[in-house]
Amino acid sequence: MKNRLEELRKQRGIRQEELAAALEVSRQTIGSLENGRYNPSILLAFKIAKYFDVTIEEIFIYEEELL
Amino acid sequence: MKKRWLQSVLGLVGLVLLAVGLYLAKTTDAAEGIMRALPYVCIGIGSGLFGQGMGGVIERSVLKKHPEIAKQKEIEVKDERNQEISNRAKAKAYDVMVFVFGALMVAFALMNVDLAVVLMLVFAYLFVVGSGVYYRIKLEKEL
Repeated sequence: MKNRLEELRKQRGIRQEELAAALEVSRQTIGSLENGRYNPSILLAFKIAKYFDVTIEEIFIYEEELL
Repeated sequence: MKKRWLQSVLGLVGLVLLAVGLYLAKTTDAAEGIMRALPYVCIGIGSGLFGQGMGGVIERSVLKKHPEIAKQKEIEVKDERNQEISNRAKAKAYDVMVFVFGALMVAFALMNVDLAVVLMLVFAYLFVVGSGVYYRIKLEKEL
Protein backbone atom coordinates (compact mmCIF):
# COMPACT_ATOMS: atom_id res chain seq x y z
CA MET A 1 0.00 0.00 0.00
CA LYS A 2 1.31 3.45 -0.93
CA ASN A 3 1.52 6.12 1.74
CA ARG A 4 2.62 9.69 2.38
CA LEU A 5 4.50 8.95 5.59
CA GLU A 6 7.93 10.02 4.34
CA GLU A 7 6.46 13.20 2.84
CA LEU A 8 4.64 14.13 6.06
CA ARG A 9 7.67 13.30 8.20
CA LYS A 10 10.00 15.43 6.09
CA GLN A 11 7.49 18.29 5.96
CA ARG A 12 7.69 18.45 9.74
CA GLY A 13 11.44 17.98 9.88
CA ILE A 14 11.32 14.81 11.94
CA ARG A 15 13.95 12.09 11.73
CA GLN A 16 12.97 8.42 11.39
CA GLU A 17 14.46 7.73 14.84
CA GLU A 18 12.32 10.44 16.44
CA LEU A 19 9.14 9.20 14.77
CA ALA A 20 9.97 5.61 15.77
CA ALA A 21 10.49 6.69 19.41
CA ALA A 22 7.23 8.64 19.45
CA LEU A 23 5.26 5.71 18.00
CA GLU A 24 7.17 3.15 20.09
CA VAL A 25 8.24 1.07 17.10
CA SER A 26 11.66 0.28 15.68
CA ARG A 27 13.35 2.60 13.18
CA GLN A 28 13.35 -0.28 10.67
CA THR A 29 9.55 -0.38 10.87
CA ILE A 30 9.37 3.29 9.90
CA GLY A 31 11.75 2.61 6.99
CA SER A 32 9.69 -0.35 5.79
CA LEU A 33 6.46 1.65 6.09
CA GLU A 34 7.91 4.50 4.06
CA ASN A 35 9.13 2.12 1.36
CA GLY A 36 5.69 0.50 1.21
CA ARG A 37 7.18 -2.91 2.02
CA TYR A 38 5.17 -3.25 5.23
CA ASN A 39 1.53 -2.41 5.87
CA PRO A 40 0.83 -1.38 9.47
CA SER A 41 -1.82 -2.83 11.75
CA ILE A 42 -4.93 -0.71 12.15
CA LEU A 43 -3.70 0.30 15.64
CA LEU A 44 -0.36 1.56 14.32
CA ALA A 45 -2.14 3.32 11.43
CA PHE A 46 -4.32 5.17 13.98
CA LYS A 47 -1.26 6.04 16.08
CA ILE A 48 0.49 7.47 13.01
CA ALA A 49 -2.61 9.44 11.99
CA LYS A 50 -3.00 10.79 15.53
CA TYR A 51 0.68 11.75 15.70
CA PHE A 52 0.44 13.79 12.48
CA ASP A 53 -3.06 15.01 13.36
CA VAL A 54 -4.56 13.84 10.06
CA THR A 55 -6.94 11.06 9.03
CA ILE A 56 -5.70 7.59 8.07
CA GLU A 57 -6.89 8.16 4.49
CA GLU A 58 -4.65 11.22 4.25
CA ILE A 59 -1.60 9.05 4.93
CA PHE A 60 -2.40 5.64 3.48
CA ILE A 61 -3.60 5.42 -0.11
CA TYR A 62 -5.87 2.46 -0.80
CA GLU A 63 -5.78 1.23 -4.37
CA GLU A 64 -7.74 -1.83 -5.46
CA GLU A 65 -5.42 -4.34 -7.10
CA LEU A 66 -5.91 -4.69 -10.85
CA LEU A 67 -6.86 -8.25 -11.77
CA MET B 1 11.46 -9.93 40.21
CA LYS B 2 9.96 -13.42 39.95
CA LYS B 3 11.66 -13.97 36.59
CA ARG B 4 15.01 -12.85 37.98
CA TRP B 5 14.64 -15.26 40.88
CA LEU B 6 13.73 -18.09 38.49
CA GLN B 7 16.70 -17.32 36.27
CA SER B 8 19.06 -17.39 39.27
CA VAL B 9 17.64 -20.75 40.39
CA LEU B 10 17.93 -22.14 36.83
CA GLY B 11 21.53 -20.96 36.67
CA LEU B 12 22.33 -22.64 39.98
CA VAL B 13 20.57 -25.88 39.00
CA GLY B 14 22.55 -25.80 35.74
CA LEU B 15 25.82 -25.33 37.62
CA VAL B 16 25.03 -28.25 39.95
CA LEU B 17 24.06 -30.48 36.99
CA LEU B 18 27.25 -29.49 35.19
CA ALA B 19 29.36 -30.31 38.25
CA VAL B 20 27.57 -33.66 38.78
CA GLY B 21 28.00 -34.50 35.09
CA LEU B 22 31.72 -33.70 35.15
CA TYR B 23 32.18 -35.68 38.38
CA LEU B 24 30.34 -38.72 36.96
CA ALA B 25 32.25 -38.54 33.68
CA LYS B 26 35.57 -38.52 35.59
CA THR B 27 34.77 -41.20 38.15
CA THR B 28 32.74 -43.83 36.25
CA ASP B 29 35.13 -45.86 34.08
CA ALA B 30 33.29 -49.01 33.05
CA ALA B 31 29.75 -47.71 33.08
CA GLU B 32 26.94 -49.66 31.45
CA GLY B 33 23.42 -48.90 30.34
CA ILE B 34 22.05 -45.46 31.11
CA MET B 35 25.15 -44.47 33.12
CA ARG B 36 27.21 -44.39 29.91
CA ALA B 37 25.25 -41.45 28.56
CA LEU B 38 23.94 -39.82 31.78
CA PRO B 39 27.09 -37.80 32.66
CA TYR B 40 27.16 -36.21 29.22
CA VAL B 41 23.41 -35.55 29.28
CA CYS B 42 23.95 -33.80 32.66
CA ILE B 43 26.83 -31.76 31.21
CA GLY B 44 24.75 -30.76 28.18
CA ILE B 45 21.60 -29.79 30.10
CA GLY B 46 23.66 -28.19 32.90
CA SER B 47 25.64 -26.03 30.46
CA GLY B 48 22.45 -24.93 28.73
CA LEU B 49 20.63 -24.03 31.95
CA PHE B 50 23.68 -22.32 33.46
CA GLY B 51 24.30 -20.29 30.30
CA GLN B 52 20.67 -19.22 29.96
CA GLY B 53 20.20 -18.48 33.67
CA MET B 54 23.39 -16.48 34.10
CA GLY B 55 22.88 -14.75 30.75
CA GLY B 56 19.45 -13.57 31.90
CA VAL B 57 20.76 -12.37 35.27
CA ILE B 58 23.66 -10.45 33.68
CA GLU B 59 21.36 -8.95 31.04
CA ARG B 60 18.92 -7.74 33.68
CA SER B 61 21.62 -6.17 35.81
CA VAL B 62 23.09 -4.36 32.77
CA LEU B 63 19.64 -3.15 31.64
CA LYS B 64 18.90 -1.90 35.14
CA LYS B 65 21.89 0.45 34.91
CA HIS B 66 20.95 1.62 31.40
CA PRO B 67 17.18 2.28 31.27
CA GLU B 68 17.44 3.83 27.78
CA ILE B 69 18.78 0.52 26.39
CA ALA B 70 16.06 -1.36 28.30
CA LYS B 71 13.38 0.86 26.73
CA GLN B 72 14.85 0.36 23.25
CA LYS B 73 14.95 -3.40 23.80
CA GLU B 74 11.32 -3.40 24.94
CA ILE B 75 10.35 -1.47 21.79
CA GLU B 76 12.25 -3.96 19.60
CA VAL B 77 10.51 -6.90 21.28
CA LYS B 78 7.02 -5.37 21.08
CA ASP B 79 7.49 -3.95 17.58
CA GLU B 80 4.67 -5.32 15.42
CA ARG B 81 6.85 -5.76 12.32
CA ASN B 82 9.46 -7.69 14.31
CA GLN B 83 6.71 -9.90 15.74
CA GLU B 84 5.27 -10.55 12.28
CA ILE B 85 8.72 -11.41 10.93
CA SER B 86 9.28 -13.79 13.84
CA ASN B 87 5.87 -15.46 13.37
CA ARG B 88 6.32 -15.83 9.62
CA ALA B 89 9.80 -17.31 10.09
CA LYS B 90 8.40 -19.80 12.62
CA ALA B 91 5.58 -20.75 10.26
CA LYS B 92 8.06 -21.37 7.41
CA ALA B 93 10.28 -23.42 9.72
CA TYR B 94 7.24 -25.49 10.76
CA ASP B 95 6.44 -26.25 7.11
CA VAL B 96 10.05 -27.33 6.54
CA MET B 97 10.02 -29.42 9.73
CA VAL B 98 6.94 -31.37 8.63
CA PHE B 99 8.75 -32.45 5.44
CA VAL B 100 12.03 -33.16 7.25
CA PHE B 101 10.29 -35.27 9.91
CA GLY B 102 8.36 -37.14 7.20
CA ALA B 103 11.53 -37.88 5.20
CA LEU B 104 13.33 -38.96 8.37
CA MET B 105 10.53 -41.39 9.28
CA VAL B 106 10.60 -42.98 5.82
CA ALA B 107 14.42 -43.16 5.91
CA PHE B 108 14.41 -44.79 9.37
CA ALA B 109 11.76 -47.30 8.28
CA LEU B 110 13.75 -48.19 5.14
CA MET B 111 16.96 -48.53 7.19
CA ASN B 112 15.22 -51.10 9.41
CA VAL B 113 15.91 -48.98 12.49
CA ASP B 114 14.46 -50.35 15.73
CA LEU B 115 10.64 -50.15 15.63
CA ALA B 116 10.54 -48.34 19.01
CA VAL B 117 12.65 -45.49 17.58
CA VAL B 118 10.46 -45.19 14.46
CA LEU B 119 7.28 -45.24 16.57
CA MET B 120 8.64 -42.56 18.91
CA LEU B 121 9.41 -40.40 15.90
CA VAL B 122 5.93 -41.03 14.45
CA PHE B 123 4.29 -40.08 17.76
CA ALA B 124 6.44 -36.94 18.04
CA TYR B 125 5.49 -36.03 14.45
CA LEU B 126 1.78 -36.63 15.10
CA PHE B 127 1.98 -34.64 18.35
CA VAL B 128 3.48 -31.64 16.54
CA VAL B 129 0.91 -31.84 13.71
CA GLY B 130 -1.87 -32.33 16.30
CA SER B 131 -0.66 -29.23 18.19
CA GLY B 132 -0.95 -27.28 14.96
CA VAL B 133 -4.56 -28.43 14.48
CA TYR B 134 -5.37 -27.67 18.16
CA TYR B 135 -4.05 -24.10 17.97
CA ARG B 136 -5.80 -23.56 14.65
CA ILE B 137 -9.18 -24.54 16.19
CA LYS B 138 -8.43 -22.49 19.34
CA LEU B 139 -7.51 -19.40 17.34
CA GLU B 140 -10.55 -19.84 15.04
CA LYS B 141 -12.74 -19.49 18.14
CA GLU B 142 -10.76 -16.61 19.64
CA LEU B 143 -10.34 -14.39 16.59
